[in-house]
Formats: sequence, structure tokens, C-alpha cells
Amino acid sequence: MLLYTLRRILIMIPILFLVSIVVFSLAFAMPGDALSGQIDPTQSPEYIEEMREELGLNDPVHIQYGRWVAGIVQWDFGRSVVHRMDVSAIIGERLPNTILLSAMSLIITYILAFFMGRYAGRNPYTKGDYTIQGINYLMLAIPSFVAALFAIFIFSFQFGLFPSTGSVGSGMTPGTFEFWMSKLYHTFLPALVLGALVTASYTQFLRNDIIESAQKDYVRTARAKGTPESEIYNKHILRNSIIPIVTLFGFDIASIIGGAVIIETIFSYRGIGELLISSIERRDSAVVLSVTLMLSVATLVGNLLADLLYGIIDPRIRVE
Amino acid sequence: MKRSRYLLGASLMSVAILAACGGEGNDGNNNADPADNNANNAEVNDADNDGADDADADNDGNNDEEAADGDAPQGGTVTYGYTAPFAGVLDWNFYGGVDDSLALNIFNGDALYSISSFTDFEPEPSLAHDWEWSDDNLTVTFHLEEGVMWHNGEELTAEDFEFSYETIAHPDYDGPRLSNVDRIEGFDEYRAGDADSLEGVNVIDDYTFEVTFQEALANNLENLWAYPTPKAHLEHLEVSEIEDSEEVRQNPVGLGAFQVENIVPGEQIEYTAFEDYWQGAPNLDGAVYRIVDGNQAGELVAQGEVDIIELTPTQALPLEDNEDVTVEEIEALSYSYLGFKLGEWNAEDEVVEMNNPKFESKELRQAFAHAIDRQGIIDEFNEGYGTVINAPESHIRWSYPDESTLNQYEYDPDRARELLEEAGYEDVTGDGFVEDPDGEEFTVNLAAMDTPADIAEPRAQYILQTLQDVGINAQLMDGQLLDFNLFYDLVEEDDENIDIFMGAWGLATADPDPSGLWRSNDFWNFPRWDNEESDELIAEGLSEEALDIDYRQEVYQEWHQLVNEELPLIPLNSPTDLYGINANVGGVTVDVRDATANPHEWYIDEE
Repeated sequence: MLLYTLRRILIMIPILFLVSIVVFSLAFAMPGDALSGQIDPTQSPEYIEEMREELGLNDPVHIQYGRWVAGIVQWDFGRSVVHRMDVSAIIGERLPNTILLSAMSLIITYILAFFMGRYAGRNPYTKGDYTIQGINYLMLAIPSFVAALFAIFIFSFQFGLFPSTGSVGSGMTPGTFEFWMSKLYHTFLPALVLGALVTASYTQFLRNDIIESAQKDYVRTARAKGTPESEIYNKHILRNSIIPIVTLFGFDIASIIGGAVIIETIFSYRGIGELLISSIERRDSAVVLSVTLMLSVATLVGNLLADLLYGIIDPRIRVE
Repeated sequence: MKRSRYLLGASLMSVAILAACGGEGNDGNNNADPADNNANNAEVNDADNDGADDADADNDGNNDEEAADGDAPQGGTVTYGYTAPFAGVLDWNFYGGVDDSLALNIFNGDALYSISSFTDFEPEPSLAHDWEWSDDNLTVTFHLEEGVMWHNGEELTAEDFEFSYETIAHPDYDGPRLSNVDRIEGFDEYRAGDADSLEGVNVIDDYTFEVTFQEALANNLENLWAYPTPKAHLEHLEVSEIEDSEEVRQNPVGLGAFQVENIVPGEQIEYTAFEDYWQGAPNLDGAVYRIVDGNQAGELVAQGEVDIIELTPTQALPLEDNEDVTVEEIEALSYSYLGFKLGEWNAEDEVVEMNNPKFESKELRQAFAHAIDRQGIIDEFNEGYGTVINAPESHIRWSYPDESTLNQYEYDPDRARELLEEAGYEDVTGDGFVEDPDGEEFTVNLAAMDTPADIAEPRAQYILQTLQDVGINAQLMDGQLLDFNLFYDLVEEDDENIDIFMGAWGLATADPDPSGLWRSNDFWNFPRWDNEESDELIAEGLSEEALDIDYRQEVYQEWHQLVNEELPLIPLNSPTDLYGINANVGGVTVDVRDATANPHEWYIDEE
């Protein structure tokens, strides 16, 4: 297991290297840079040229790449031209919001998937099962930005239940109970959209596993012994069926952060995703590079985590 | 794959938002210079933000006149909305964009003087109650108001202004405001590090200082940096540290009606009333500057989530009948245009070279102007908000020429065909499109931006259609619209595929000087128009003689007539800015840049 883990971690290094090259070339290929938006006749072209020189934007691509990688190895992600501060500081400011949103949406996904999957698994091929399936696939099919706009329209504008923008209310002192409640309140609607849309895979996994387990020998044995039906489902089957779902968690880390990119933008929720989008628009390449790289690392770590969890839960998968 | 498509969808939407807040055909997000008191023009979407400090509340059309003089209801909080996250550089000397300048206006909006649309763009006393020029027109002496307090309890003195000038001119300063101090005597020596102080800035006593300029120019006052910096708050910092410091980003000090209470980075700033404000305590208990999603701006103001916000024409229209919202209009200080590529930039000699024979013919350019239905563009795509202009200037300013002296270029396809014929462009091959005088095929590529997303495409097609109607074979360059950055990259490098291009410029509030955009040695002269007479007139408009505003107006009148006749670009329209204001909120003054003027007059009337 240790060897396996080490091997998996080592293999991440060349992957990361390749990812960094792709990310960098893509950012490099974007038309314009942070200064090309500065269309301002009070600035002489020489001033802008000077700034480009100072920022190293005129150097050949491999030198820029080398400088960027050298910085990252030393935990220096560069400086944002737009925000005029260090990239690590901006990300540090935004990351807690994204983590809160992701955690909350995961919890919502789990709760929804657990109840729907359990019901559908116990009552397969009934009207209820089909309804759940229908709802799930519908949500899977709806683009998240459409769902977000609908959610805002219905819950914020029509019923006035939740705020449609921002991550915290006004007049709060950071750290107080009130402040955190306001944060949760502001996070709930985006988290609901983000979480509800991805329940389909969880629900169907759980449902299918329950149906499959229900025909296993140990279940038949339990039935033969006269164990109550509810106990069979809740104790014997559910426990076994939940295990494979846990491993999905790893894969989800990346997809949730990715999904947050859109949701955060629509809800004006200041997190990493919203930062990424606005930085792309403003060609703030230091921020774009760092955030993209961060998302890539999160994907790789998530996959690693998923594989390791598999190994722990199911000894047959362990590779020595 | 699916995810990346979502991403695209989302980003397109937000581009539209930004464009919407910026106005015509522009991405509100590029960080052009909102330089204050700037003699030059800035790219349209990050407008200047001057005149934030007009003392006179009800000159303008706000809806609750009765509340002007101290009998306004007290208490409450007003939320000012904006649609792009703010960078958080809360210091005038270092800030970059309109995102931060709005926040600054609310807690630190007062400057030496104010210039606004309701004072006819003439400097009005503010922090300086008076100023006078020396006989040689080189030195101006300012007399400051006494008893103006900073939020940290210090009193405003002349040294706070000296501190501003010496910060900006400092060798380590790398912000974008140099052009506002570089005319001061001794700037070059100080900037180079050869002098310990700026020779041209002289503090006489606590409330008096004088500034001496290198040469007497008509707009020295308007060009001069007008914001004080709280010296006691910042003087312990190196100039290179100020921008990143806590003193600027977390605990900024101003002298406005509100003081900063709490900052949530990129999201909101909360203010509380500053009771010692020099123009009297504000009516409100506090104010909030909040960043929201621009797509929802109309709905948010209708719901009362924000109280004041700029709207797009499509958002404003449904609110016209809404009782909870007042929609205020004001002519924007910007214009959109259709430019001809007449040549290219010669980077070596730093001059434009008018070397493209394609649009040499003046009649041809005028034919384009007659072919395009400019009023139609406003009616079809801007819900009628906007004004057709015939000069590259906002028609609400004194420098806008007398319309009767200008060629009107009204929409007239027959006249366009006539002019084409006069210029020798005739349909020889019989394919419905004209050929050039040599009988060669004549095709025209239009470069246009992809914002605002909802109208960019149909608007471009509309223009192409009207050109094709008169026989000009016009098409979209590469068959598609261009992203903001790509568009300006191509325009700046004079890409050979561009024949005509549709752009927009914002104009400085303080001064109508066309330098920077129009002279033959201006990089930002995108049509690459080279005209000796124009250069001379622009220089004349800045001369000492032009200190007499009537003379200056005559010079600009002549210059505009020249541009109008030569037509290196076709001015399309001057857009209308729209603001949605909660009907309970009064005392709000909408100006050409924003609605943050005199926030101490804001009040909430609950009835």
C-alpha cells in the first residue's frame, strides 16, 4: 500500500509538469495582456512599453515560463496587475468562501442522494423510482447557469427567501455568531444549485447498488432467517452500498470547484471561481495561471484520494 | 467538454454585464484610466470621476427637491451598487479603475475644486475656496477651507497637497497619475531623484500653497492633481509600500461625509457617518458600496437590495413605470465612432503615416457617413437612449461646436450613392457592388467588438446592411466579432485586414483638449490621421491665449469643423447613462460619471 501510494504521488510530478506547460501556453496564447486593456491616452506608449519590459512580458516564452515555474517552486505566485497585490494574498482572501461553498454543496448532495437513492433502491421500477430518476436526469441536463438564474428568480425575487448576491450581509462584525449565520444564509442558495445538480450520479450509484445487493446470497440468508425487511435494508444492504460512494468524494473535489466557477460568477459570490473568470477577462495572467494550476492540483489530489480510499475500503483493489 | 461550454456561457454573460456598465460597445472591465482632472481622454468604460464633490445638491433632476436644506429625514443606510469587483486600492494617488474610484468618492470625494455637468464643466470652489493666477500665468495660488477634518482627527492643511504631489512625482512611484503632475516646475529633477523636493510646489502657510508650472498652458489647472493625501496617516511609509499597506487597503482615511467601517475584499465596503464633515454631518447613519451581478441590476434595485445603480437601456425600460424606482438619465461624456484606417503608426519616428490609399478620398468617407443610419442604431439597439453627434465631443459640454456649422451627414442612401459616383466608385461588373476608380474590386472589412453581447452582432449586421444597400461590399472582418482585448490589439498594431473599425472613447470631465487622440504624434490616434492644420489648432487650444475661454471655444469650433469635413472617423452617438434609484432615497445627484456626488445629501424618506 505504501509503495502504491508513493508511486501514485511520484507519477503526479510529470503530470503536473505537463499541465503547467499546457496552462502556461494557453494563457500565453490569449490575445492581449493585462496592459493592453489600459487604453488611455494619458499614458504614453513608452510608459506601457516600459511596464511590459518591467513585468517581463517582452521576454521569449521559455524565459517567462522558467521564471514562472521558479517562482512557484518558491511559493511565489507572482503579482496581480489588476488587483495590485500578491496573487497568494488574493487567493488566500477568496479561498475560504469557495471552501465553504463546496463543503455546503457536498453536504447537500449527500443528503439528497442518500434519501433519494435509498428510496429508489428499495422501491425499484415503481412510479417513485421513475420520478426520482426523471428529476435527477433533468437536473443533470440543466446547465448550471440556467439553474442558478431560475433559482435566483424564484427564491430571491419572487419569494424573497434568500439573497441573490454576495457572500455576507452588511453590518456584521467578522467572527461573531451573527456573521457566520449571515455567511451560511448567503451561501445556501448557490450551494443548493451546485449540490442539487450533481446528485444524479450519487443517487443512481446508490440505487443500483442496493438493487444488486438485495439479490445477494447474504441478503437471501438474512431474509430466510426472518430478519425484518427494514433491518435488512438499513443495516445489511445500506452499509455495503454506501462504501463505493465514499470514493466518489475524491473525484468530486475537482468537479465541485469547477462548478463553483460558474455559480460564483452568477451569484457575485467572491470565491476562487469568480476570481478566475474576472481575471481571464482582464488578462490578469498571474492570477489565471495560479488558479488554473491550483484546480489542476486539486483534481490530481482528488483522484489520488479516490484511489487510496478504494484501496482502504476494498482490499481486492490494493496493488502491491 | 460540457463543463468548458458552461464556462464559456458564464463568461460571455459577465462580459455583457461589464459592457453594460461601461456603455457603448465596450468591456467595462479593462482598466483604463479614470484619471481625475485629466486633460486627456480615456477609454470610455472607465470613465473619469470628477466633480464628485459638488456642494449643491438640487441643481440636477433629483426627485425630492424639498429635502435640500437640512430638513431631510435623518438616519438609515443607502447601498450603492456596482457590477465589477473592486481592486481595493483606496488611495487617490494609486487607484486604477472606476471600481475603486466609486468607493473613494463616497468617503473621500472632495478635491481642490469640482467640475461637473451642472456647473457647465467650469471649476467650482471646493476644498480650495479661492485661487488666483500670477501675471505670467505660470503660478496658481490656492486658498484652502479651514477646519476641514480628516477621519483620523487631523486637520487638512496645505502639506497634505504637497504630500500628494511629492508621492506621485517620487522616483519609486509606479502608479498611473504621472501626467497630472509632470507639468510642475522641477518635476524632472525630483522624479530623477536629483532633488529633495518639488521646486514648483510651495507651502505658504497651513491654508495656502502655490504651484508653479513649467509653461503656461490653457488647461494647467484642470490637469493638475487635485486630491490631498492624509500625510499624518501615510508619511511613515515608503512610497513603494503605500499601495500594499494596511493604511490604504484596510483602514483608509478620507475627509468625506462617510468613513470606512469594514471592507469585505472585492465585495462590499461599509461606511458610517462622519459627524465632523466640513460641509455638515450627513443625513444617513451609513452607506454601503456593494458589488452585484450586473445582469440582475434592474431587478435588484426594484427589490430594494441596492438603492442606486447604473442600468443598461434594456434594464431601464421596464423600470420606467415602476413606482419603487426612479430612473435618472444623463448624457454620458463619451462617444462611439466608426473609424477609417488611413495609415499606420511609425514606431521609430513616433508619428502616424497616412499611407493607406484605400480611404484617401474624402467623398468616399462622407459617402459612408450618409449610408449609415445613426439614429436607427440608437432606436434599434439602445432603446432610443442616446444622441446622434457630428463631432467627437459630448454635446453637453461648452466645447461642442455649433451644430449648424457642421455637415449633418443625415441618413441618405441616395446622397451616399452620388458621393460614391463623384469619387469614382462605380459598379462596373454589375454585381450590385461598386468597384474602385481603377475598376478593381472594392471590399471593406469591419472590425467590431463582441460586447454588449446581446446587441453587438445585430448592430454590426445592421451597419453592414446599410453599407451594402448603397453598393459598398462591406463584411465583418474574418466573419466574426472580436473580443475587447483582441480588437484593440489589432487596431493598435494597424492590422492590414482592418478597413473600418467601431470603437468608443470616454472624454475627460475636466477638459476638452483633444491631445492624446488626435495629433499626428499620438499613438492613440487610431485612424492614423495626419493633418497639419489639426495639429496647429490643437496646440492653439492649449496656448496661453486660450486661457480666455471664448477664444478657446473658437479654436475648438474651428477644429471640429475641420474634423467634420475631413471625417477621419464618423462619430456615431453620444450614449445616455441611466441610473435606477430607489424611490425612497432622495438627495442623489446623477453626474456624467456616476451618482456619488455629495453623498452627505443622501437621505431616506420612508413614506
